[in-house]
Amino acid sequence: MKRICIDIGGTFTDCLVLDESGTLSLFKAPTTPDNPTDGLLNALQKAAQVYEQPMNAFLGDVNLLMQGTTLATNTLLTRRGAKTGLITTKNFRDVIDLRRGIRPVGVSMYNVFIPPYEPLVPRWLRLGVDERVLYDGSVLTPLNEQETREAALKLKAEGCQTVAVGFLYSYLHPEHEKRAVEIIKEVFPEAHAIASHEILPVWREFERFTTTVVSAYVEPVIARHLTNMESRLRNAGFKGSVLMILANGMVQTVNQCLGRAVTLLNSGPAAAPSGAVHLGRGIGLGNVVSVDMGGTSFDVVLVKDGVIPTTSENWVGDDRVAIKMVDVHTIGAGGGSIAWIDSLGLLRVGPGSAGADPGPACYGKGVEPTTTDADLVLGYLPHDYFLGGDIPLDVDAARRAIKKVADPLGMSVEEAAQSMFTTINHVMADQITAVLTKRGFDVRDFSMVAGGGAGPVHAAAMAQALGIPTVVVPSVAALYSAYGMFAMDIGRDYARSYISRADSLDLDKVNALYAEMEAEAYAAFADMGVAKDSVSITRSADMRYVGQFHEVEVEISAGAVSADGVKDILQAFHRQHERLFEFSMPFLKVEFSTFRLKASSPKAPFALKKIATGGKDPAAALKRRRKCIFSGTSVDTPIYDGERLLAGNVIEGPAIIEERTTTVLVPAGFRCTVDELKNYVLQQ
Amino acid sequence: MADKKVDLTTLNTVWHSLQNTCMEMRHLIDRTAQNYLIGQLHDVSVGIWTATGDTVAVPVGLPVQFLGAQFAVKEIVKKFQGNLEPGDVILTNDPYKGATGHLPDWGFFRPIFYKGELLFMTLARAHQQDTGGAFPGGYFPNAYDIHAEGVMIPPIKVWSAGRERTDVMELIWNQVRFPHGVQIDNAAMIAATKLADQRVVALLDKYGKDVVMECISDMFERTERAVRAEIGMIPDGTYAAESATDDDGTELDVPVWVRLDLTVKGDQLILDFSRSDAQRKGFVNSIYAGTYGNAIAAVCMTLDPALADYHNEGTQRAITVIAPEGSVVACKYPATVGAAPVNVGNQIMEVVLDALSKARPERAVAAWSKHRGDYVFAVDPRTGERYVRTSFDYDGSGGAVWGYDGYQGLSGLTTLGAVNRSNVEEVETRIPWRIIKWEFLTDQMGAGRWRGGPGVYWEAEHYGREAAMATGSSDGDEMLGFGALGGEPTPACRTYIKRGEETMRIRPHRMVPMKDNDVVIKFSSGGGGVGPASGRDPEMVRMDVKKELVSIKAARETYKVVIDPETLEVDRKATEELRAAK
Repeated sequence: MKRICIDIGGTFTDCLVLDESGTLSLFKAPTTPDNPTDGLLNALQKAAQVYEQPMNAFLGDVNLLMQGTTLATNTLLTRRGAKTGLITTKNFRDVIDLRRGIRPVGVSMYNVFIPPYEPLVPRWLRLGVDERVLYDGSVLTPLNEQETREAALKLKAEGCQTVAVGFLYSYLHPEHEKRAVEIIKEVFPEAHAIASHEILPVWREFERFTTTVVSAYVEPVIARHLTNMESRLRNAGFKGSVLMILANGMVQTVNQCLGRAVTLLNSGPAAAPSGAVHLGRGIGLGNVVSVDMGGTSFDVVLVKDGVIPTTSENWVGDDRVAIKMVDVHTIGAGGGSIAWIDSLGLLRVGPGSAGADPGPACYGKGVEPTTTDADLVLGYLPHDYFLGGDIPLDVDAARRAIKKVADPLGMSVEEAAQSMFTTINHVMADQITAVLTKRGFDVRDFSMVAGGGAGPVHAAAMAQALGIPTVVVPSVAALYSAYGMFAMDIGRDYARSYISRADSLDLDKVNALYAEMEAEAYAAFADMGVAKDSVSITRSADMRYVGQFHEVEVEISAGAVSADGVKDILQAFHRQHERLFEFSMPFLKVEFSTFRLKASSPKAPFALKKIATGGKDPAAALKRRRKCIFSGTSVDTPIYDGERLLAGNVIEGPAIIEERTTTVLVPAGFRCTVDELKNYVLQQ
Repeated sequence: MADKKVDLTTLNTVWHSLQNTCMEMRHLIDRTAQNYLIGQLHDVSVGIWTATGDTVAVPVGLPVQFLGAQFAVKEIVKKFQGNLEPGDVILTNDPYKGATGHLPDWGFFRPIFYKGELLFMTLARAHQQDTGGAFPGGYFPNAYDIHAEGVMIPPIKVWSAGRERTDVMELIWNQVRFPHGVQIDNAAMIAATKLADQRVVALLDKYGKDVVMECISDMFERTERAVRAEIGMIPDGTYAAESATDDDGTELDVPVWVRLDLTVKGDQLILDFSRSDAQRKGFVNSIYAGTYGNAIAAVCMTLDPALADYHNEGTQRAITVIAPEGSVVACKYPATVGAAPVNVGNQIMEVVLDALSKARPERAVAAWSKHRGDYVFAVDPRTGERYVRTSFDYDGSGGAVWGYDGYQGLSGLTTLGAVNRSNVEEVETRIPWRIIKWEFLTDQMGAGRWRGGPGVYWEAEHYGREAAMATGSSDGDEMLGFGALGGEPTPACRTYIKRGEETMRIRPHRMVPMKDNDVVIKFSSGGGGVGPASGRDPEMVRMDVKKELVSIKAARETYKVVIDPETLEVDRKATEELRAAK
């Protein structure tokens, strides 16, 4: 039986097939945005051809297909979601518009020449109905069912496809939202009805409502894709199961994703760090910075002790999304990033990108100088073997483009290219430092795992700037996210808000909340045919000093929470606070706000085929030599053929390794060892 | 770009590392503070200065808190000459000896040494939950002199060579309400300065002192050149503007005026506030450093947005701020200063923007909503503990700018959108208040070709028995914020208390006793408009009507756009006729 991972990106649909022999094969097809299943099937078709099987026989032999997709993210970012209405507590219909007075994240406070935020649901589709619950969960005003019915009918008349329901305190008292959803289903059955307590049953209405609205906004597009994709796969002969990659770094069945479309944001990039963890475990690296440098963006995830961090402090474009997501820090830096000269006469690279269309100047269509153009001019990229020669690169076009920034800076084209290379590396290195220090870690205690199309060219230079000793580049780096999917666990996060001081915590209530969440989790797993004893549960709680506004998440051990247990939890909280923020105050009172549970089940392990072993000398794989520029000096550099390297080969920098989909730069001062799973381990 | 000593890449890297450090400092405070104003509302500023007081990095904060901080840095370096060492932390909130805008804004300064040499100062300044004095919060309108406004701390060492001077801090904490809370916030702020120290020293280790200092002076020069080039594009001349706060809180109903003559001469900008009122008995007096910070921020708003990420000493070199000692914009001891960050801080920014909008229409920025703040001091019957309620929740929105409508939901100009609102669920869980209604208002913004962001209606019931409310941080019942280039001004604001059948109007700058079940109602103005309302695209007016931000009546009377009440479509013909008739 085979397993397949598919990552539907903005430009390409990547497909990785793992067959019975442990061999990984890579396939790519253009993404088809109007119906992403077309591109997915095209990629599978290519794979079937290589395996010399008809499609139905090939698919019949696949027992598991894991899929990430940028569909939800792109739908949100391009504002092409469904017409959405909001039914909310009367007198509070502007929560998602006032949005806590937040200016766009990342725009300087001195810049006021920006357009106002447009909420996903315009004001005339936000309808208040009479109902009110108080902070303790008691009902002040029962739900006015007649108004709710009228609101649903009005949204129907307006042509909405989906209705979000968000009432104050629904995390304490979900009954009003539940009843409203029933009423919507009754009078407007064709709409998707999405309630806030289902999406995010925790306190703070702005964050809960906006997350729910985002979910409702992308729901129809996602639901259409999921149902269409599953049925077309079945028709094509697929009999296995489909699992979707979630924002939180776990996977779920298609059924579990319906009605919760927001959980598919960042599906794809969220998978990458799982690959890094898996690699790290194989090679014996504890702490890993996973970097993924693609065409337009650079993603950083920090993995400490094998744990992939998640956060609920997320922005996707200009929208706040408060579900747990893998803590991926993204900046606009990639192969397509454009170099420009700013108002102070300084060279900048990114965040603007030439994207896939027109793409870097050297692809032949664009005219703006990009990172890829600089890499080409410096000799790091082969003009004749980019994607195995599928895309010939035009060195003259790259030089012409770079001249546009070189001239005003009084530099030669080579100098400008070198400066672009260094600048983008520093932008990325700064981002890595920011991510690490925010969590109180020293970058030098980490190893780097680099993926993405451009990552292997830039990784070593970033590591050099940061003092990171080891860089690992997997040979499947170009399909980094798809690779990560093989290593992901099935599961979901659960959360319940209960705000109480530690000294008056009702332990029965806490234990009841955990029992409720566990029952929900076991039921979801039972639906997937996963037995209770193979589900692993971890618990945590959000805690803070009384008076603080932001919480620290503290892990809680299994079993009933006892009074002594609370003491241990408090100790752990003080320690965690000290580590994150350089101080703690054990003499102050502490309060709990949200109790969390994560239920997961590991998938069957997978093993990759080992490559043949050779000696240290890589000479047999020497393909050619080329002039490359390092720190302004032209160096005659050996180029190795990645397909011919053997385990145990050692390559001293400066050198370049070319594979069909990846080019690895080994700068001077680095030594690259090839391991038996075909990872390139660079050490300085 | 001739004879540059540092390569551009290094320059870039060093510069952005310093900016990043400030963002990290703010993040640390943001995540750990307990005071509502700091933790939720971001009433906090951080930055890095050279030891001689040149502004290096000030990416985000409140102008009054940090854009004039070079004056405090200079005071401190002078006072402690030769007596500073690594691990020291200096605290001050003194307007007259520590250049602080008002007493609640405690500033923790840390000298940054490298190889024994004092190179930089870093600052974390934030509005404390309490600073002592007659009433919590610092906006008490009727103080006799500065001493009645709270504990006044001249620049003193509170950490010495890495050790807390606990006895000193205990003396200070003993002067304030909620000392445990203030203690958390102080720890957060000090931790942020420690983080800055680590980052800056690491940067110096990596590039060496000479390179880092060269990068900084190179950046100053580049920024100065760019800012001067911008100023050079403004036609030479003198542009006047004036703005007033409703009163000074002591002498009631007499507006207090800030007046500006802004002169553009080649590539220099001279802001002369000499015609402003003399300093007042009431608490609306701004120290020079506060006036300076607000004025610089307002100028920055109208410069090329591409410069926004860079502002530093270079920006300031091109701008001169003149404010005569003893005036309401440069007050002397023992004047009270409690409300200065809002009133007259807001007026200072307004006159600069008003004058610059006249001078450079394509960068016009209209007034933002007036702050509608208050402080309520009471006991929470649920816990028996004292609490202070304050927020920016009820504030209106941003003013229009050339090209865009005002940004909705932002608080007043003096915060530049750096502060946040709270959640209903957080407020009601925390304090004994129930919010009844919180939505945008219709027609409560300055109309214009680009209109101001909408005003806000806020109504809430207090069930905390006897309480006292200070409306010192409110303004704008009488005096309106300007509209630019023929745009309408910000509308008037109102606050009421409903007690049973009785409804009482509550004016700004007053002390008001409250009872159980009092309902507080606030109408906050939106922002001002830019350009004549009759020049607004009828399609935009139609959308505003659909959103119920503009009424059909105002569409017709103010915007000269006729909207069919049934279909909500624009009646093109009637609109053309109406617009032509004028």
